[in-house]
Amino acid sequence: MSGRPFYKRACFVNALSRRSFLLKAGIVTTGILLSGCIRKLKPNGAYKSIKGSIKGPNAKAGHILRDKLPLPAPSGTRNVNTLIIGGGISGLSAARWLKKQGYDDFELLELEDHVGGNSHSGKNSVSAYPLGAHYITIANNEDTLLTGFLQDCGVITGFENNLPVYNDYYLCFDPEERLLINGQWQEGIVPDFGLQPEDKAQVKQFFALIDELKKAKGTDGKYAFDIPIDDSSADEKYRALDGITFKDYLHQQKLTSVYLLWYLNYCCKDDYGQRIDKVSAWAGMHYFASRRGKAANADTNAVLTWPEGNGWLTKKLAAEVSSHIVKGHMCYSIAHNPQGKVVASIYDIAKGTTSLITADNVIMATPQFVNQRLFKDSVTRPVDYAELNYSPWFIANITVNSLPQAKGAGLCWDNVAYDTPSVGYVNAGQQSVKLTDNKRVLTWYLPLCDHEPRVARLAAYTRTYEQWMDMMMPELEYMHPGITDAIGNVECWIWGHGMIYPAVNYIWGANRKAAQQPVNNSLFFAHTDLSGVSIFEEAFHQGIRAANQVLASYGKQANT
Amino acid sequence: MNKKLHALLLISVFVVATCGLIYELIAGTLASYLLGDSVTQFSTIIGVYLFSMGIGSWVSKYFEKNIISWFIQLEILVGLVGGTSSTILFLVFESIASFRIILYSLVGITGILVGLEIPLLMRILKDRYEFKDLVSKVFTFDYIGALLASLIFPLLLIPYLGLVKTSYLVGILNVAVALIVCVSFKKEIKAAIYLQTSAVISILVLLVGFVYAGVITNFSESLTYADTIIYAKSTPYQRIILTKKGKVLRLFLNGNLQFSSDDEYRYHEALVHPGLQALPNARNVLVMGGGDGLAVREILKYPNIKSITLVDLDKGMTGLFKSNRMLLGLNKNSLLSPKVKVINADAFTWLRQDKTKFDFMVIDFPDPSNYSVGKLYTNSFYKLAKGVLAPGGIMVIQATSPYVAPKSFWTVDTTLRSVGLHTIPYHNYVPSFGEWGYIMATENPVYKKPSTFLPGMRFITKESLDLMFYFPKDMAKVKTEVNKLNNQVLVKYFEDEWSSVL
Repeated sequence: MSGRPFYKRACFVNALSRRSFLLKAGIVTTGILLSGCIRKLKPNGAYKSIKGSIKGPNAKAGHILRDKLPLPAPSGTRNVNTLIIGGGISGLSAARWLKKQGYDDFELLELEDHVGGNSHSGKNSVSAYPLGAHYITIANNEDTLLTGFLQDCGVITGFENNLPVYNDYYLCFDPEERLLINGQWQEGIVPDFGLQPEDKAQVKQFFALIDELKKAKGTDGKYAFDIPIDDSSADEKYRALDGITFKDYLHQQKLTSVYLLWYLNYCCKDDYGQRIDKVSAWAGMHYFASRRGKAANADTNAVLTWPEGNGWLTKKLAAEVSSHIVKGHMCYSIAHNPQGKVVASIYDIAKGTTSLITADNVIMATPQFVNQRLFKDSVTRPVDYAELNYSPWFIANITVNSLPQAKGAGLCWDNVAYDTPSVGYVNAGQQSVKLTDNKRVLTWYLPLCDHEPRVARLAAYTRTYEQWMDMMMPELEYMHPGITDAIGNVECWIWGHGMIYPAVNYIWGANRKAAQQPVNNSLFFAHTDLSGVSIFEEAFHQGIRAANQVLASYGKQANT
Repeated sequence: MNKKLHALLLISVFVVATCGLIYELIAGTLASYLLGDSVTQFSTIIGVYLFSMGIGSWVSKYFEKNIISWFIQLEILVGLVGGTSSTILFLVFESIASFRIILYSLVGITGILVGLEIPLLMRILKDRYEFKDLVSKVFTFDYIGALLASLIFPLLLIPYLGLVKTSYLVGILNVAVALIVCVSFKKEIKAAIYLQTSAVISILVLLVGFVYAGVITNFSESLTYADTIIYAKSTPYQRIILTKKGKVLRLFLNGNLQFSSDDEYRYHEALVHPGLQALPNARNVLVMGGGDGLAVREILKYPNIKSITLVDLDKGMTGLFKSNRMLLGLNKNSLLSPKVKVINADAFTWLRQDKTKFDFMVIDFPDPSNYSVGKLYTNSFYKLAKGVLAPGGIMVIQATSPYVAPKSFWTVDTTLRSVGLHTIPYHNYVPSFGEWGYIMATENPVYKKPSTFLPGMRFITKESLDLMFYFPKDMAKVKTEVNKLNNQVLVKYFEDEWSSVL
């Protein structure tokens, strides 16, 4: 991952202070050693016949930022009223909202050659497939901003008895989930097959608790757990849960069944990329207790999904604002000029040139670890950036010619094996109405949560394709004996900073609140790391919130 | 030469005669299985076979020296050709154009070789018997062998071994005769070792064939079918199996019976005529599924029909029913009619893109026994179907058995109603299937029972239609959920209801 050709090696070292260089060298070495220890450095070569590659977000661009490499002097300056930096869901949602309010003078910069952030997707001859976020649940009915969007893009097709009717082709087709447990695939992911009555009783107890918390409201009349998170009750009774880990909370509740704890670990890995000992109890419960959506034609908790996952929603969000989007352009510095305007320095990745954009205001739809680098010393915020933790993820899209049959329930949308490192795979072709032949794309998700995120991230960057295969294939063979021979291709994707995770005291702590605050009424912030949970709904609302702040800075009121 | 060797040679005549007739029976049986019309097949096969034997007898005069050696080689060759013949014929059956050429060539070659056997044997024996004794003994054993063959073939060989294994077994017997003769006369023949080795190798080859015959006709598969499998093919979508017993052909897709030629008329008349007879002005018809062309055959009986679009996923199915003579006889060449357009496409996907309207639609999919097929019975699918139904048009859906699977049947009804269609459920008795159900659906409640039917119907009449619309207590309507893509209740009902029967 060296820089572009014109960055000489010498520049690289010069640009780093000695101390930070040594620190980085140390971490890189640890990462390499670790990746070596976890897997034999020498791959066993058993999967040589399987073609594949490793990809990920534009690391080159990321390193320019991280390593503060020198860039050519800016060659020009232009003005826009509003600049949105980052074309993930938050940035797209902000852009869509501005446009919807009749506000046109904005531009959205995206460093990749595609928008969508971690809702990115890919496509091959068999199917489109997700490279990150891949579903949403039906919306809470009070969340009219979201239901409005879902109506705009045809996900909600109408209303019956005041309940939304969801598009049948987007509601996850049956059968939805299965779990390989005690030698058999059972229907559903909550462990059941082969469990002792005590374990089953605890599972029941947990879901009874959830049912209670779903309905629970604080003294301020707000739901204890809601989406967006900032709409949740301020009642200390519930917020106190943010002060302990989910693990400790479960212990307090005397929920000790290994099966239940496996399930909750699985859920936390799936949602936050970490286990129950790393996330707060409030966040652990939020996933279960915040979803109350009712539909005319689907159950609460019903899932909406597409072959390309949330890449589909990305397209819909971007559709109306595509003329405002500039791709392949990276912002590498933000500062205020003496007139109080924001000056963004922009690097054109393809051309290798830089320029300046002067804006009245900027929506930073970028994660805070990036903002920290863009602001350098020119913008100071009362934020402890080190407290924001991001989970690294590994995703593999596996194209198979057939899927060996196994005992129990057949292929579902979500397929998980009990007590394995990954969180299973989804069948990208689930929403196809075709009587498929046997070719499929399976999207396999592995949260890298066995080490500190920083170490796991570096280890991930140093691992080779063969080493990833050595990690992945034994689990897939366990799920489907004989699958190795059926695999045609594997596309690996690494998200170094896949998502924020809600560590203890992050969601209701001072740091998150501080990070949401605009700077100088000209820098506004929108990102799921300001919510603490990385879900589409939060990004969607983050974007709208920041867009409304921009409108308010011009004295406009949003029409909702 | 001692008595023992005389007896041996006469036993050879007996075995050779038995084997020779069995080859003929195998060829005749295979031809009538695969091509149908057993009278024609048997008589042409017997004719060609006997004629070839004549050629063989005539050619025998050109064999002058080393008669025993020639006889042994001949036996080995007959064993190999005859033994492998049915395998070859099963394998080439698909490439229908060349099938007859190969069939008659094999019959011809076997006939010539078998025709050579008796004359050569007689010449071997000629110095050992008086002429009148020779003729009497040889033909006595020949005809006894023929009797034995004609008895054990239908009574033992076919029921217990099947055609392919029988061929290999008879081939092995032929080569065994060669080997025994070779060992017994090793002093009188040159290169005895070479001949013995060839015989042993040939026996081994045929044994391998015998053991692995199951792979060719899939014996384990044939166990699950009561009748003889005459065609088996795995397409990307399904396994097609055609069986035959007597005159009756049965088609199975993934092991599920689709029709039986002796009573399919009851199914297809019930599927098509209650609806189409009520639409005297119908022009355009859509058939989804039904790649066998049998529903199309019924539709073509209406002169007012101008065009029929058949959408079937599997080219393997429509191809078979467009080219196989026996199957063309069954569907009356329906898929070759200029009015018929065959589209090999996924029905759901095709329907989402289609813009034309149809006056009459036949939705004849396999039973909803898995989630893939279950999608074709959902409200989403019926919404699309409703979208292409012309005003005043009728669609009819095969809807499994209201007797065995009432919940499944009435789920289809509920699902059709859920998209705003009016339904007219009905049923009839199809011996192969049992009590079977169909549902007509219309956009407005406009259906009028037809009072007459086209001439030539074998099942349906005005009176029988009245009975079809009546549902007795044990098939009465039950309350069910709507079958949707995101619940697939029908597949679950279907599995429950049929698993308790099968």
